[in-house]
Amino acid sequence: MEAGQKMRGADAVIKVLAAHGVTTVFGYPGGAIMPIYDALYGGPVEHLLSRHEQGAAFAAVGYARASGKTGVCFATSGPGATNLITSLADALLDSVPLVAITGQVSTSVIGTDAFQEIDVLGMSLSCTKHSFMVTDINELIPTLYRAFEIAAEGRPGPVLVDIPKDIQLAALEYKTPLQSVNDELQPLVADLDAAAELIKHAKKPMLYVGGGVGMAGAVAHLRQFIDTTGIPSVATLKGLGSIAHGTKGYLGMLGMHGGKGANLAVQECDLLMVVGARFDDRVTGRLASFASNAKVLHLDIDAAEIGKLRQADVAIAAELSIVLPALTAAVAGKLDIAQWQVDVEELSRKHQWNYQHPGDLIYAPAMLRRLANKLPEDSVVACDVGQHQMWVAQHMWFRRPEDHLSSAGLGTMGFGLPAAIGAQVARPDATVVTVSGDGSFMMNVQELTTIKRRKLPVKILLIDNQKLGMVKQWQQLFFEERYSETDLSDNPNFVLMASAFDIPGRTITRADQVEQGLDEMLNSSGPYMLHVSIDDIFNVWPLVPPGASNSDMMDQMEKQT
Amino acid sequence: MMHALEITVQQRPEVLERVLRVTRHRGFKVTQMQVRINDDTSMAVDLWVEAERAIELLSTQLDKLIDVMHCKVLPAVSLDQAANS
Repeated sequence: MEAGQKMRGADAVIKVLAAHGVTTVFGYPGGAIMPIYDALYGGPVEHLLSRHEQGAAFAAVGYARASGKTGVCFATSGPGATNLITSLADALLDSVPLVAITGQVSTSVIGTDAFQEIDVLGMSLSCTKHSFMVTDINELIPTLYRAFEIAAEGRPGPVLVDIPKDIQLAALEYKTPLQSVNDELQPLVADLDAAAELIKHAKKPMLYVGGGVGMAGAVAHLRQFIDTTGIPSVATLKGLGSIAHGTKGYLGMLGMHGGKGANLAVQECDLLMVVGARFDDRVTGRLASFASNAKVLHLDIDAAEIGKLRQADVAIAAELSIVLPALTAAVAGKLDIAQWQVDVEELSRKHQWNYQHPGDLIYAPAMLRRLANKLPEDSVVACDVGQHQMWVAQHMWFRRPEDHLSSAGLGTMGFGLPAAIGAQVARPDATVVTVSGDGSFMMNVQELTTIKRRKLPVKILLIDNQKLGMVKQWQQLFFEERYSETDLSDNPNFVLMASAFDIPGRTITRADQVEQGLDEMLNSSGPYMLHVSIDDIFNVWPLVPPGASNSDMMDQMEKQT
Repeated sequence: MMHALEITVQQRPEVLERVLRVTRHRGFKVTQMQVRINDDTSMAVDLWVEAERAIELLSTQLDKLIDVMHCKVLPAVSLDQAANS
């Protein structure tokens, strides 16, 4: 298009996306976003049609989390936009960079309860990092540019841009706005010195690593710090993959369903070094007794997380990719933690997982461990929410945080399948497996159509105990075995259902079928469903009961089979 | 515990909603509020709030809002002066 030539607002939207390197958007059309869909037609940006806007936005989340890029999704006004809300909330709690573009009714009828009109800007306030409604065509392009900046800068998050239909149709001359340059948040030298002093004087330091490390692109810096100092470590659900599998002193996940060794080591430490994490209640158990003898060194890009739940002795709200190398250099060779390293190794040995489970029944933890060992180097696992999610976190291992997608903060059932779709689009050569449960899977099951439509080779590992397992577990343990509405024994025939979407698969029910079943799934060239029938006696262990200290984990209580 | 905040925000139609939503959600009760237009683009919001929680739990969250340009916690003495003025 020549300079000075006018285009529609809708065309400018697509042009801004292309200028940001966006190659795929996820969405669902409707009346108030038709001009944007018209502009998409035949244009440079590919669109992946979901079958529900929640699925579209979760695919964008999966795309973003698997690639580190900003995900983009489209929805129309009214129900299209309301259907996005859950995914936006999920992206907010897990700090995922996302730009959601919604159509809105024309400016002249906003506020008249027009057809498919709802106050999307108002609804967005609590579930986005920021949001805009564009009411002036001259503001359209700068607003979209700003949306991409906000989504990715500092602590990332979802940004919504609501665009009325008349703005999409209005004419404008495309001008690239001047972009602001955001300086990286630098640490203060005095703070780095204070942090280094804490580390050097600690006898029992422990790293508590969260999702912020991966989001900050600081995985290599963290690994260098660990290699140099030998400080033992644990990770949160979102932090999994940040620390290399097999790293000495790495005890896996901490928290409610963390490893006992991980929790006990944290309880015993004298310095808790918190890196890109936020003292979530699922991590800390009873907060007052969480690592209660430890000093706290808190490193996080978000100043609002410092002191929110636990006061820090030293805190640095700056880029981890700057802070971690500075601390590595400052403390190298100056630690005296040999006895602590021995103690942690002992804890690790004492509380290692036991995969020996005699009998014919399929033991999901052992199966997932086998899966982790079989996955090729370029792999992504997208989970749903519930017992299977915790088994994945406990028993699988990941090469980097981008390889493990799990709805951590919001805990959204229905996350896995669409997130896997987004991950497969972002990384077409990767082996993408969604590990789901029979409850979660049905929450966004319509996205099987998206797999069919695009012939995406997503693998579905459906762990089926005919229960809403996690709720059932709590009913068993804490609600006197009153199993209210958690029986799913009338589940559909999942393999038959998958076949309706051209997805082959099979059911396995016995431990001796696991090996072949996993191989068949991983070796299939297209999509595949491995439906794994397990017994509902299996619960997630160990467990910190609600309100208890992480020192008081409940151990396995299953009846022996 | 009473606290006073001096906030400068971008003039946008929804900015007061943003400030008040965060204030409510983070557990603070608004006891008094004054709003005035500063210039073409900004607005001053003086907010008096009551809560058992430390005021930093609110001020840091308000500071994060994209449309909040400044957020300052006034010392208690300023609060008294403001209340008496």
